[in-house]
Amino acid sequence: MPTVSMTVNGENVSSEVEPRTLLVQYLRENLGLTGTHVGCDTSQCGACVVHVNGKSAKSCTMLAVQAEGSEVSTIEGLADGDTLHPMQEAFRENHGLQCGFCTPGMVMSAIDLVQTNSNPSEQDVREWLEGNLCRCTGYHNIVKSILAGAKTMQG
Amino acid sequence: MTETNIGAPVKRVEDKRFLTGRGRYTDDLNQPNQLYASILRSPHAHANLKKVDVSQAKAAPGVIDIFTGSDMAADEVGSLPCGWQIHSKDGSPMNEPGHPPMAVSKVRHVGDQVAIVIAETKSQARDAMEQIAVDYEVLPAAVNMDEALSGKALVHDDVPNNMCFDWEIGDKEATENSFSDAHKVVSIELINNRLIPNAMEPRAAVAQFDPSSGNYTLHTTTQNPHVIRLLMGAFVLQIPEHKLRIISHDVGGGFGSKIFHYAEEAILTWASAKVSQPIKWTAERSESFVTDAHGRDHETKADLALDKDGKFLGLRVSTKANIGAYLSTFGSSVPTYLYGTLLAGVYKTPAIYCEVKTVFTNTVPVDAYRGAGRPECTYLLERLVDKAAKETGIDPVEIRRINMIQPDQFPYQTPVALQYDVGDYPKAFETALKASDYEGFSSRREKSEGNGKKRGIGISTYIEACGIAPSAVAGALGARAGLYESAQVRVHPTGSVTLYTGTHNHGQGHETTFAQIVSDTLGIAFDQVEVSHGDTGEVQFGMGTYGSRSLAVGGPAVLKACNKIIDKAKKIAAHILEASEADIDFKDGVFSVSGTDRELAFGEVSLAAYVPHNYPIEELEPGLDENAFYDPLNFSFPAGCHICEVEIDPETGEVEVTDFTAVDDIGRVINPMIVEGQVQGGVAQGIGQALMEGCVYDKEGQLLTGSYMDYTMPRADNLPNLNVSTESVLGASNPLEVKGVGEVGSIGAPPAVINAILDALSSLGVEDISMPASPSKVWQAIHNA
Amino acid sequence: MEMTGEYRIEASRQKVWDALNDPEILKQSIPGCEEIERISDTELAAKVVAKVGPVKAKFSGQVTISDLDPPNSYRISGEGKGGAAGFAKGGANISLKSDGEATILSYEVDATVGGKLAQLGARLIDGTAKKMAGDFFKNFAEVVTEDADLYSAEKLNEVDTNEINHGINTSTRSKISISSWIIGLILAAAVILAIIVY
Ligand code: FES
Ligand code: FES
Repeated sequence: MPTVSMTVNGENVSSEVEPRTLLVQYLRENLGLTGTHVGCDTSQCGACVVHVNGKSAKSCTMLAVQAEGSEVSTIEGLADGDTLHPMQEAFRENHGLQCGFCTPGMVMSAIDLVQTNSNPSEQDVREWLEGNLCRCTGYHNIVKSILAGAKTMQG
Repeated sequence: MTETNIGAPVKRVEDKRFLTGRGRYTDDLNQPNQLYASILRSPHAHANLKKVDVSQAKAAPGVIDIFTGSDMAADEVGSLPCGWQIHSKDGSPMNEPGHPPMAVSKVRHVGDQVAIVIAETKSQARDAMEQIAVDYEVLPAAVNMDEALSGKALVHDDVPNNMCFDWEIGDKEATENSFSDAHKVVSIELINNRLIPNAMEPRAAVAQFDPSSGNYTLHTTTQNPHVIRLLMGAFVLQIPEHKLRIISHDVGGGFGSKIFHYAEEAILTWASAKVSQPIKWTAERSESFVTDAHGRDHETKADLALDKDGKFLGLRVSTKANIGAYLSTFGSSVPTYLYGTLLAGVYKTPAIYCEVKTVFTNTVPVDAYRGAGRPECTYLLERLVDKAAKETGIDPVEIRRINMIQPDQFPYQTPVALQYDVGDYPKAFETALKASDYEGFSSRREKSEGNGKKRGIGISTYIEACGIAPSAVAGALGARAGLYESAQVRVHPTGSVTLYTGTHNHGQGHETTFAQIVSDTLGIAFDQVEVSHGDTGEVQFGMGTYGSRSLAVGGPAVLKACNKIIDKAKKIAAHILEASEADIDFKDGVFSVSGTDRELAFGEVSLAAYVPHNYPIEELEPGLDENAFYDPLNFSFPAGCHICEVEIDPETGEVEVTDFTAVDDIGRVINPMIVEGQVQGGVAQGIGQALMEGCVYDKEGQLLTGSYMDYTMPRADNLPNLNVSTESVLGASNPLEVKGVGEVGSIGAPPAVINAILDALSSLGVEDISMPASPSKVWQAIHNA
Repeated sequence: MEMTGEYRIEASRQKVWDALNDPEILKQSIPGCEEIERISDTELAAKVVAKVGPVKAKFSGQVTISDLDPPNSYRISGEGKGGAAGFAKGGANISLKSDGEATILSYEVDATVGGKLAQLGARLIDGTAKKMAGDFFKNFAEVVTEDADLYSAEKLNEVDTNEINHGINTSTRSKISISSWIIGLILAAAVILAIIVY
């Protein structure tokens, strides 16, 4: 079995994995980082979005070995101790989550959006979320949260 | 009102764990020595199982064991039960064929369970599954309802013509008479499209058997752990309830689809004892598509009789409902008591008759999905009312006004069994008209027309019966369970509280809403209350969460338990303060002797209860811990009006929902932030049903919409912002005066959207369109008109 | 779904016919073919394995040949079972026509798939099947022409530069075409690929 090494939330990790192990499996099953979720088997729901080298990526579409040497960050790595990341805080403030299952993917996607476009419009947000499904909220409050989070992130 | 009392938009306490990735969903949990299961499923809609050869697969690497339906049958595992018995018109009970957790002699839908492979790793289980050789003798499938009713292919050999039951409600004769007096009769035929619930978390289970105690523990994605314990323990596996613990911590959405007792729960629990090791199974999304119970799927013909002024005289409804291959847990109640009983809507129709033929087909079982029966009913009524408006030339607003039940008519007895307790339908209706700027529509239409677009506005009013349910009523109608709810308020010595509720939180925010009720009632700080749910090992009992019942039935149970706490605490306070109990006042967490300044804080009383040094041991037990069961006197009846505005590009058939206004009467609002979220989410699902979602089988019974590539889910960029508000009349059926909010969106929205589309296209001659109104369908309708 | 197509192979009709009846040549030509066995004069069985990403599936196909008219045409029908993946079944008419020195092979396939294949593969199978068919004919032509020491296979329609799509028309969805013992197996494998890719 090949060995794979990467940094996850700032820590170096290295493990032997079956070559067919997906990144999301590696995170959840090998590293116990179960905040990243699996909602589909056709790469369409976005519950599994993490950051790989700073960009959002669906971790179900990537093999763990493809992330060799990368910097991966997940929802668990966002908050600074007890202080939530501004995007997390915005979701809380604006009731941007209900069951919470899509939430990690939504938040990770949203942060990447704001990194790409620091002042997104409502339409930008809605289009950016094309790859993230939420069944609970009707997106209304997610969009509101992301717009608010974008504002705080700009400082 | 403080920031956390009843009525305040308190931020949710559960959010922090979800936002930091620390939720405890079933698939997140692992047990020591855990094995993994894969389930082999039928690729055929209907086939005899001639031989299941597992010999080669058993020898595959990592495989611990493989079981089939025959192994379960040999252990006398029971049939998955149905919780609601319906009787046909002729008085005969519904046909209730067996539902083995794994197929024994026959598979009846694509996705039916054939074998379970248990291996050391997930991939070993999956690899080994490929090596099971099954010899199927393929049989003709009954896929659509007409085909099924012809009886050519029998889903269950002992159910003639595949008819589960042929049910009726209402006064047939009175209804026929109303038609002979009618000035005008308006008729409609429509389909309520089959939907797949698609909670974002796929179902999962981890089962564990402890050989030393003989106890079973099942972690499962359910909305009602106690109900699963009862059904699985008593009917399927014969495990006494004290030996079986069901745990369902965080659940990633349910919408009804996680109410039911599913085969995998029984298979895993049974198999965990066979192999004496914990086993985990997690559905892949493609398994969810062919195993989670589907929703809706009705075909209906209806006629409405009107007098010369446009008043409704009578309504006649004939529906065929697809129940799928097996009776799911509540499948039989959905097209009957959750459907036919609501056909009066908010209108004064004096005579109603409805008959429903429920049909087995070789498709996934159909059961409750958000709204369950009530969206089907509302869609029918509101489409019919709009059609009546058109055919009589009366304005759609006016025809609704004329026929609406008036506020002074409550309690209002409908001709279809229900008695509405309170309401003010005209108020929500008029508020919605204002909020949507209905008056200003024509200028918006003009503007759209100027851009080459078609614009339409559509109204829907609805009523639903929720807060399910008064046990006596439910029992009389065939329910095999009571539908009360329970709560336990455990006050700890220092005055903090754990509330155990029998309802289940899978996104609704109970941990916040219920804490508001407790903190407000007991006058203690909000952060001193913790809500516990979802574990039969912790929570005394409960019937779970569905049918918008948590607050309407579970809430009063909480209130009742809190009141018992106050009563007992008053006795303790009276003793310590040396006053008579009748003189003790309780307010804002303080017990005082009326007319004096002698008082005790809540924490002092609770401490006395647990440190009974100076305590009336002879009269009172130590401790401050109370249990309550609450059974409602009536259903609660949320109602409201939804108005949708659409713009259609006639070139492409694309429908854009530009505005959506919902005004709902849901009784007292405990947390307005959560309420708005519930309505928004429901409306999104309703718009999904109207415009995008639809489940399609081919004629062999293969599911063609079996993934997110083919089943269109609403996404952020095809929904508008939603204008949501409440216009409440306090509920009269429970002491919290609440009504329920979980389902209103998915009930009210679909007809509003379709009525808007038909309004937009009526100038082009389009008279009908079916859901989902996809661009191609709209385009076709325009071109066929 | 129905799939029809034509291929021009730079070898004589008899040679093509013989090759189509030579299990060894077929085995070399069918992508992922592990085993092919003649059960009787009119029956063949084969195993095709595909492994991509996280899934491995073994397809076993059984086909029957009928309406034999050597070296002009025949009909083939059969079923490929993919275990947990589902099944593919159907039939195909194959005919050979001489075109100078070369041969034009045409096929018409009609079939259905079921189970996970239908559920997930419906819209992928078309593309994957085309690719598999393309690969098959490329391999087949190479083997046949090498044997014959002739020029390599050439596509019939030069306008279509995409050899994978060459000459194959597919209708949109839902009904998946296929099966003939050649094409059936190709498609069986294609179908496996399709689900794997997803
Ligand atoms: S799990 Fe659905 S996109 Fe990755
Ligand atoms: S919050 Fe439940 S899926 Fe988004």
